[in-house]
Amino acid sequence: MFQYYLKLSLKSLRRNPILSALMVTAIALGIGACMTILTVNYVMSSDPIPHKSDKLFYVQLDSWDPYQPAREPNDPPDQITWTDATNLMQEKAAFRQAAMASSNGVIEPADQDSKPYLASMRLTYSDFFSMFDVPFLYGSAWDAAADEQEQLVAVISKATNDRNFGGENSVGQTLRVAGENFRIVGVVDDWQPVPRFYDVTTGAFDDTEEVYLPLALKMPLELPSSGNVNCWKEPDGDGFIAFLQSECVNYQMWVELPSDADKQRYMDFLDNYANQQKALGRFPRPLNNKLSDVMQWMEYNNVVNDDAEVMLWLSFMFLAVCLLNTIGLLLAKFSTKASEIGLRRAVGASRGDLFRQHLVETAMIGLAGGLAGLGLAWLGLRGIEAIFGEFVSKMVHMDTNMIIVALALALVSSILAGLYPTWRACNIAPAGQLKSQ
Amino acid sequence: MSATNWEVGPILRALKRNKVGALLIALQIAVTMTIIVNAIFIIQERSQLMARESGLDDANSFFLSSTGFATDFDEQSTVTADLEAIRNTPGVRNAIQINAIPVSGGGWSMGLQTEPGEDIEGTGVAVYMVDEQGLDTLDVELIAGENFTANDILWRGNGESSWPDLVILSQAMVERLFPDLPVAESIGKTVYINNDEPMIIKGVIDKLQAPWPGWSNVENSMLVPQKMLFTSTRYFIRAEPGMRDTLMPQVEQMLADSNRGRIIRSLRSVEETRERTYRQHSGMIKILTTVMVILTIVTALGIVGLASFSVNRRKKQIGTRRALGASQGSIMRYFMLENFLISTMGVLLGAALTVGLNILLVNTFEMSRIEWYYVPAGMVVLWIVGQLAVYGPARKAAQVSPALATRTV
Amino acid sequence: MLTMTDIKKVFRTDVVETHALRDFNLQVDEGEFVAVTGPSGSGKTTFLNIAGLLETFDGGIYQLDGEDVSHFNDKQRSRMRNEKIGFIFQSFNLIPDLDLFDNVDVPLRYRGFNSAERKRRIEQSLETVGLANRMKHLPAQLSGGQQQRVAIARALAGEPRFLLADEPTGNLDSQMATSVMELLKSINDTGTTIIMVTHDPQLAAEAKRNIQVRDGRVSEVDNVMPLKAATA
Repeated sequence: MFQYYLKLSLKSLRRNPILSALMVTAIALGIGACMTILTVNYVMSSDPIPHKSDKLFYVQLDSWDPYQPAREPNDPPDQITWTDATNLMQEKAAFRQAAMASSNGVIEPADQDSKPYLASMRLTYSDFFSMFDVPFLYGSAWDAAADEQEQLVAVISKATNDRNFGGENSVGQTLRVAGENFRIVGVVDDWQPVPRFYDVTTGAFDDTEEVYLPLALKMPLELPSSGNVNCWKEPDGDGFIAFLQSECVNYQMWVELPSDADKQRYMDFLDNYANQQKALGRFPRPLNNKLSDVMQWMEYNNVVNDDAEVMLWLSFMFLAVCLLNTIGLLLAKFSTKASEIGLRRAVGASRGDLFRQHLVETAMIGLAGGLAGLGLAWLGLRGIEAIFGEFVSKMVHMDTNMIIVALALALVSSILAGLYPTWRACNIAPAGQLKSQ
Repeated sequence: MSATNWEVGPILRALKRNKVGALLIALQIAVTMTIIVNAIFIIQERSQLMARESGLDDANSFFLSSTGFATDFDEQSTVTADLEAIRNTPGVRNAIQINAIPVSGGGWSMGLQTEPGEDIEGTGVAVYMVDEQGLDTLDVELIAGENFTANDILWRGNGESSWPDLVILSQAMVERLFPDLPVAESIGKTVYINNDEPMIIKGVIDKLQAPWPGWSNVENSMLVPQKMLFTSTRYFIRAEPGMRDTLMPQVEQMLADSNRGRIIRSLRSVEETRERTYRQHSGMIKILTTVMVILTIVTALGIVGLASFSVNRRKKQIGTRRALGASQGSIMRYFMLENFLISTMGVLLGAALTVGLNILLVNTFEMSRIEWYYVPAGMVVLWIVGQLAVYGPARKAAQVSPALATRTV
Repeated sequence: MLTMTDIKKVFRTDVVETHALRDFNLQVDEGEFVAVTGPSGSGKTTFLNIAGLLETFDGGIYQLDGEDVSHFNDKQRSRMRNEKIGFIFQSFNLIPDLDLFDNVDVPLRYRGFNSAERKRRIEQSLETVGLANRMKHLPAQLSGGQQQRVAIARALAGEPRFLLADEPTGNLDSQMATSVMELLKSINDTGTTIIMVTHDPQLAAEAKRNIQVRDGRVSEVDNVMPLKAATA
């Protein structure tokens, strides 16, 4: 019977090619627009480290100005100071912990023909790699001793390894960075969390860094600060050390806390630490420390761009218009079939038979619209890429989930659109239509 | 043509018996209007944002970064040599060393206050460190006071936290600090940076935007007379008209060749910077425009489809009307009027939805309230779209022969 | 008065030319009740369409109420239909979405009467056909005979000089047909000229004058008054 319905539907669709095309186009446009924007939103709001995002916490300490909060209404600054970063790292109060900062330095390739170039760097601690499950192509992270002893060790990205060592295993080799010779201990495999959750201060969708060095080296090597530096008061005195020891914030701090009890304990530890600092004359504001897990931190930082959300709303309204359109056209189409329906009823088709027959027809329109919509969504994503450039290049890829969502959305919405017209068509009395019109 | 020819009453009563079709069109029109009006409003806002002037000579300016890495790299001699070399390059109008680029998205800000004291909230201001050539290179106009002289310029070391005694402020900044004072009278006044470090206002310039276009204080900027001894620094170059594109690679090459102990990077024109900075807005405008166009076409096609269908369904009725004395004009008018009435329902509902969506957007995304006249303008546009869409089917209806009335179908 | 002189009407398709009317001549005087009969395909509907200005013709002269309508444009023809001609159709052609009041109102709207005048005429003509109490009903709520009465009321409301009826009882049972016929006769008695196309000789016999159309020509004119008593 299903095959018979399929045949009838195909025939019916072919009988009114323009009307059918119009309906398929309407659904395709609606689905295409929705899926394009939905994909961008989906990627923006996706969990970059799903298996442990609720165990990783971002640390905020309120070390700010006594007279005004770092962020209204009364939020602590979104980064911490050098002093606090190094103090918290020394305490090792969490299961894992890594303070970090972005920096940059000139790499001088060993090969004399290659030009020196400026590389982005992440200064951090050894726990960074285990905490964030960073995949290694060669070697591994440096160990905790390297942090403590301020060893000149480096982990480099795959791209850096390709550029400087032709993709060979470079563990144990030397790389000249920021005027010093570093021993390479590990090469990171392709790794690009989206969003790049561990540091969203300069943009949630930036690339991962080219070189990773121990943060402890920042002071002896006077490594530059990049990212955002915010100060509520000027450093006491001039020079690099004075700047480091100032109340300027430029460091991010993540901790891994496996259980709620751990979290509570760490929270207490932070408050305790803040009170100690108060005793030393720092932290002039009331106690206001915060721990946010990965998704809370993304939410707090508005990682899903407002424009993307506005467009999402608009695209759903767009889909609504396209569906209203389809309902109208289906209504028109089915009403021309009144006499056929009457005839079928007269020769014994039940209302249910006819209902199913026409539902198959609308489902076919929906499926065709969904497939075409997927194509349009692909085009739409290419269009967004062309319009916004590298800012969105990580967000314009559809995965299987999205393809399934697109087809389901198309099917469900077209069937929903088809319900009323089908119901109305099938409520035609069998006799009425056989009499003259 | 008398007024009684407008069959408003009968059309409405007939529509009541065909609610669904009319409702579908009305709803489409309402939602379309909601989207279009809000989209146009957003587009309008973004265009205004993008149209603001930076104050720079956008078309002829560019900049690049120089980062020293050699152990023997000397900042002071490099900057001095670089500036001399750039300024002497034919086609270059002027050049300066600068710490940040207007509208680029990254820079320094400080707070200024008119009274010293820790508990006084300063007014945010963007900091640009320039020498006495700053005004000409940045293409800003001095409207009061004086420019820096070569003697005013000091060297700022890395990590240095104190500030020079002189400052030039943008007009907007002066007006914020001294709202009751004529701009000219602010010359010689003292403002405080870092709560209590005094600076004397030496000059006021017309306009120079901060590096952050989304900042509420974007027009607040200050020039301080400093050259920087930073390993990584920027040069801002203003070319003679038409020379920019020739000069960009030329200057880059010249600097790279003159000192091998540093890297020259981030060569970019101000125009491109602007384009990058505003890309999100221009992208939003492009997407919303596309959405509006497609949506209007979809809605118009929907109206054409349903109207054609309704004409087909009512052919006999049209023939009868013609037989009873309706001219072709009357038939056209009937369908146009019918569409107008449906559209009216649509745009009235649309007006409510438009305002509703706007309120929602205002509350959720801190957007601004829509101007009232967007709503009636949107209503008129949708009325026109409806009338244009129904014109074809209405013409077809008018072509129906009156002889159809006597035909037994 | 209605005068047709050598009226020609040809229907062309790609393959055939059909002469629906050839040298059709007819004169109908004020106050007549003419029945036009003929086998199907004889051209009687074409005649009615041309007489009622629903269709143009390809040759000859047609004078209606003293005016030569041969070169009228669409607007003039519409105006003429509206003011001088009333139509009654086999399938009534009421507008299903409008109630009786609005249905009768249709031609009056095109006439441009003010609303008081339209209301007066609608009520009066519905009164004439005995349906004044059904004004707010929809056509579907009426029987066929009642629907045809509404159609007659619609035709009468504009006080036309001519009433053209196309198989007015074709869709009605005999009892209803009789009452409709009686109604037509009484209208004719008030001076309205009626031209009725029918294939039913019995019905034709009730008219004052019979015309037969065959192959697009008036083949026979029967001026003999039928015996009313015989059918009554």
